[in-house]
This record gives sequence, structure tokens and C-alpha cells, in this order.
Amino acid sequence: MAHRRQSGNGSHTSHRPGIGRRVEEIGSSAQHLLSEAKGAVEDLRETFDFRQRVERHPYGMLFAAAAVGYVLGGGLFTSWTGGLVRLGIRLAAVPFVKNELMNVAEAAFGGLGARDDGGAGKASEGSDPGSEGGG
Amino acid sequence: MEPTSNIRSKARELKSRVSPEIEEAARGLGDLNTRVVGFIRQRPGACLLGALAFGFIVGRIASRR
Repeated sequence: MAHRRQSGNGSHTSHRPGIGRRVEEIGSSAQHLLSEAKGAVEDLRETFDFRQRVERHPYGMLFAAAAVGYVLGGGLFTSWTGGLVRLGIRLAAVPFVKNELMNVAEAAFGGLGARDDGGAGKASEGSDPGSEGGG
Repeated sequence: MEPTSNIRSKARELKSRVSPEIEEAARGLGDLNTRVVGFIRQRPGACLLGALAFGFIVGRIASRR
């Protein structure tokens, strides 16, 4: 009622600018909030520097993003994760196993080659004994 | 002596036959890698979001099983 009286008192004209002022204030605070959010996003972008990271490690970043999505999707404590971990361990062990196999193969072929050379040397010794003395 | 020389000649022949194909495959894979890396570098946000969505879907499927 007092409100009405005030508006009837001639303050009606001063009431509308009040609302307008409030709307302006809300608008300005919304703009302020928006600019702050933009600033925060920019800060976050600069902090993480996704573009540079993707430039440097494209596959690693894709893998990391997929891993984050996998965890967010709730796949962390599942049997799939166990399988993936086991697969990863096996893949990590592949270079070591490969090196070991290469060493074994080299040793085997080296021994075979040495035996062949020895046999060939003996054969050459047997067939042409004067060639060693000449060379 | 005879078997090892046979094996060696066969290995050499196999290598000469297979190595051009392997080189071509390696060249093709290198080209593909360059193209994929270029695409990722051109659109990093889309690729990251795509990978995130892919991981999310896979995680969702894994959690339902």
C-alpha cells in the first residue's frame, strides 16, 4: 500500500527508472560474470596449453583424452580395464623378448657361420695346401 | 655346409622379394601418419573432444557389461 501511495505521490515516475537501474545492474553483473568466465577459460587454456601439447604429442594427447573419457564413462573398475592393463604389460614386454630372441638367433647363426667357416677353411686347407703359404 | 648355404640363399631370395614390398608399406604408413598428425594439428579441439567421447562411450559399454 505504501508502495502505491508513493507511486500515487508522483514517485511513480521515479519507480520505473529503479527497475531499469536494476535491470541494468543485472545486465552489467551478467556481463561482468561472462567476462570473468571468459578470462578463466583463457587462463585455463593458457595453463594447459592444449594446442601446444597437441602439436608436440598428438597421439599421446588423443590417448589421454580417450583415457579420461573412459574413466568418466565409468569403465575404470571393470574387467575390461584389467584386460587392457594385462595387454599393456604384454606389449611393454615385447621389446625385451624381441631382444632376447635376437640375441639367441644371433648366437645360433654366429655359431653356425663359424662352424661353416671352419669347415670351409679345413676344406680349403685340404684341397689347396699351398694357397695359405702363397697368400 | 650344403644345408646352411641353401638356407642362406633362400633367405637372401626371400629378402630380395619381400623387402621392396616392406619398403612400400613403410612409405605408405609414413604418409598415413603424416596425414593423420596434420589433421590432428589442424583441429586439436575436435580431435580431443572426439577422443574423449570415444573413451566415454567405451567406458560406458565396459561398465554395463
